[in-house]
Amino acid sequence: MGLTDLVALLSSDAAIQIIASIVKILIIVVLCLQIPPVMVWAERRAPAMMQRRKGPNRVGIGKFRLYGLLQSAADAVKLIFKEEVVPTGANKVVYHIAPIFSVFTAFLVACAIPYGNDITVFGQQISLSPIRLDVGFLFILAMSSLAVYGVTLAGWASNNKYSLLGSLRASAQMISYEIPLGMSLIPLVIIFGTLDLNKMVIAQSAFPWSWGVVRAPISFFLFFICMFAETNRSPFDLAEGESELVAGFHTEYNSAKFAAFFLSEYVAMFVLSALAATVFFGGWQVPFVPYDLLLKIAFGLDWLAALVGFLFLLLKAGFFMWVYVWVRWTLPRFRYDQLMALGWKFMLPIGLFNLLITALVVAIFDTVTRH
Amino acid sequence: MSQELLFYSFAGLIALCSVMVVTSRNPVISAIFLVGDLFLLAGLYASMEAHFIAAIQILVYAGAIVVLFMFVIMLLNLDPDQRSQVQIAAPEVGVLALTVIAFAVVGGMLVFGQPTGVSGEMTAEAINSAGGNTFTVGMVLYTKYLWPFELASMLIMLAIIASIVIAKKDRPKSATEGDKRRLAHG
Repeated sequence: MGLTDLVALLSSDAAIQIIASIVKILIIVVLCLQIPPVMVWAERRAPAMMQRRKGPNRVGIGKFRLYGLLQSAADAVKLIFKEEVVPTGANKVVYHIAPIFSVFTAFLVACAIPYGNDITVFGQQISLSPIRLDVGFLFILAMSSLAVYGVTLAGWASNNKYSLLGSLRASAQMISYEIPLGMSLIPLVIIFGTLDLNKMVIAQSAFPWSWGVVRAPISFFLFFICMFAETNRSPFDLAEGESELVAGFHTEYNSAKFAAFFLSEYVAMFVLSALAATVFFGGWQVPFVPYDLLLKIAFGLDWLAALVGFLFLLLKAGFFMWVYVWVRWTLPRFRYDQLMALGWKFMLPIGLFNLLITALVVAIFDTVTRH
Repeated sequence: MSQELLFYSFAGLIALCSVMVVTSRNPVISAIFLVGDLFLLAGLYASMEAHFIAAIQILVYAGAIVVLFMFVIMLLNLDPDQRSQVQIAAPEVGVLALTVIAFAVVGGMLVFGQPTGVSGEMTAEAINSAGGNTFTVGMVLYTKYLWPFELASMLIMLAIIASIVIAKKDRPKSATEGDKRRLAHG
């Protein structure tokens, strides 16, 4: 097979799609891997700023201290080289595969978010999210429900009472708040009429008055609270609260596996932030600049417009990540029974009520506009 | 060709996971392989272009029902000695029965039809032209199959109420009896 044959094979439709998929997956995975170092830095400098002290600012190369950014690199290196201690009596198989569930589901959800409009490369239309399904939205909810296994199995396999307690609490919390999470997003499906996330972003035009947050404010309120509960972040972090249960389900995990749980927590935070940005704040749409205008500004290059959209999505998701850190260092944590009561007795009824009202309004609107 | 390849690879992995579910010593490992089973089954649905059912399969089965199983298994916490006491009574009969069933299933598939659901009136193209997966499921579920749908939810409600009644602790019959109970526990 000569060189021209190889080139012809590589430029066939299927090959271009496959290569595009591989490139997309690589980009998203690398992007998600960059988030924990930045977030760890933000988590230490932001509270320092809020508490009027300096955060870590000692680690540096020579004279370049870089405001403590290299602290994250030092932390990562330390975690990788630390000795891994497996507790005696731990279930060896489950202990080692539990972090895999957390990391796997977090990255899978990161692949299902639309990072930009479809672009055309070599005559093939390529969507800018590695997993493009017409039920993309349900896929995200399904993967979030698989994330419970990482927490549950980790605590059980550690042969430690505190871990087991922490993991049972954390998993009960996660499955309890999955319901209001899904319930708060269903009205958006009713309003936009599609389960495909990219179509949802297109339906919210670039103008903020047609964004999800304006059309379904109660949904945003519920989703915002469930975001914190799903990732076990303050004020819902009783399951891994340092003053309560040592470190909860990841007490007995050290070195690389602890890094894996850490990574999955921050990637899950990023993913939920990006989801909030996508369905409530217009996703990759640039505010006040419709996509065709953006295309004209970008000299007609659709990949340039997609890149600008991608940067705006990152900005919006970054805003929510900042809010995560801000809320963590502002609010005290909930007691466990208060937390569960909030989820079942407050948020579920509000979610149901919201769903009912939205369905009624949309049905009435549709019947009225049809006549 | 690619459809059949997908089907056979998924089906082979599902069979492997099912064998591991049944033969694992540790019930938690069995539950994990069950999750693998359901995940691969969702993959099988996705390969037949039924994306909605695949996503719902993971959301409901793998993400909620097996989590429930796992909670129960973990809280029961069987001792290893209790576990190994479970012996299979007559393994030869089991193997014979399995072989007969396998031949019946595979033989039936080879004689009567294609292994993938690409024949009949519910093909992927027909569903896509009728408005997509979610739309067609919704249209049929809430109109033609409304009564079975409502009856199924009544059944589930019955099961929930029954389990609450069974699990509810007895209340003390009188005030003094309740005090005695509290004193006894110190």
